[in-house]
Amino acid sequence: MTIQLTRWPSYWRRALNWGITVGSVFLCLLVLPTRFPGMSLLDVGPNWLLVWVVAWSVKRTMLEGALAGLTLGLIQDGMTAPDPTHALSLVAIGVITARLQKQRYIQEDFISIALIVFGMAVLAETITALQFSLHTILASPEMVERDLGSIWLYHQRIALASAILSSLWAPVVYYPLNRWWERFAEIDQPQA
Amino acid sequence: MYVVRRWWDRNGIRLGLVGLALGSAWLIRQTQGALIYEVYRGFSNPFVGRPVETTATKDPKVLELEQQLVELQSQNRQLQELLGYIQQNPGKGTVAPVIGRSADHWWQQVILGRGERDGIQVGAIVSGEGGIVGRVVQVTPHTSRVLLISDPTSQIGVTVSRSRNMGYIRGQSANRVIMEFFDKVPDVRPGDVVSTSSYSQLFPPGLPVGIVESVNLNKSPAPEAVVELSTPISRLEWVVVSTNPKAGGTELSPQENLDGSQNSDPDPLGDNQ
Repeated sequence: MTIQLTRWPSYWRRALNWGITVGSVFLCLLVLPTRFPGMSLLDVGPNWLLVWVVAWSVKRTMLEGALAGLTLGLIQDGMTAPDPTHALSLVAIGVITARLQKQRYIQEDFISIALIVFGMAVLAETITALQFSLHTILASPEMVERDLGSIWLYHQRIALASAILSSLWAPVVYYPLNRWWERFAEIDQPQA
Repeated sequence: MYVVRRWWDRNGIRLGLVGLALGSAWLIRQTQGALIYEVYRGFSNPFVGRPVETTATKDPKVLELEQQLVELQSQNRQLQELLGYIQQNPGKGTVAPVIGRSADHWWQQVILGRGERDGIQVGAIVSGEGGIVGRVVQVTPHTSRVLLISDPTSQIGVTVSRSRNMGYIRGQSANRVIMEFFDKVPDVRPGDVVSTSSYSQLFPPGLPVGIVESVNLNKSPAPEAVVELSTPISRLEWVVVSTNPKAGGTELSPQENLDGSQNSDPDPLGDNQ
């Protein structure tokens, strides 16, 4: 595989790289509406887009992380409801994950990725819950759709379920993608 | 000039790709993920079985009650015709498989494997075995997205069938919903049947919703009851989508359609008993 790839023209390789990246996002999007047995807890599934953003941002700059978060957040808005936006939490996840500079401080393994995903999943749900709370506080009383108590009670439940599931399933996305990106960087480096 | 060109040579492609990614994400957002749901349906289609026929397992008691119901319904219709009362009945339904759930954790939605091509329109009523389940908020050619009544933004005007006490229900992201009464001292007790009221702007009246499980009359600002939905929302497999006679009459703003908020009439209706 490696040998053949090095013979490819570099723009073909780059196109393949982008194809794989976009394809993996698309796969994550397709898995989002499913609730397979073993993949759901209290009717909550893993947050696949969050796992993808973490996998993407771990070895990239904050800007790249933010852009990936923005892109996936907009798509998720379209798939559910645009208000409050999912982009905000995913952008924050992208920036913070890139900021962690994992390779400098933490050894490369699944456990650390799972830990990062666990923390980020809790953070993402908290940001969404904050957005909902802000809506409730700013809305006129008769337009209130979710009251504060129920938002944070629900937040506790889904933050924990989503964090556990996302961190357990994180290697499924992270391992192949990370391996490919590493391989690609190795091949692409000499000519670039 | 040279500096700009050098910068462009180095970053032009990257900038283009970023623009492309953001542009297509925006497009997907504006089309409400239609492309993704269409592809998703294509993948899930082979796994959708056939609706299970439950006729064989009906016991004689149920059959007897069903026959009584048909009799009462036709009597009711005759009496309404005598009174000159015109009611639009919900149209005949389309049976649709549930192929997915909400794409995030905060919204209670399901994805159906039938769409515009099968005659489903935004606002159509979705019911499961036992009562209403939700309302179609978005359609693509082959899929449709349903906002469940268990979603906190789903607020539906309902009435207690026995005493005609009015109120509205609010989703709790579970199989139980909270009913808030407009009356200070409503006549309600556990076991009462709750159905949609004629004040609901989005649902036709008389559709079964659930059964009152417990009542809290001391709740402020309004008395509350916990209503158990008669349909097992978390285990939906097949649903019936029927056209909504009220969908045409109610002018839904695009924003309402987008975020699926349903505003039942919040006017105090206590004097309408």
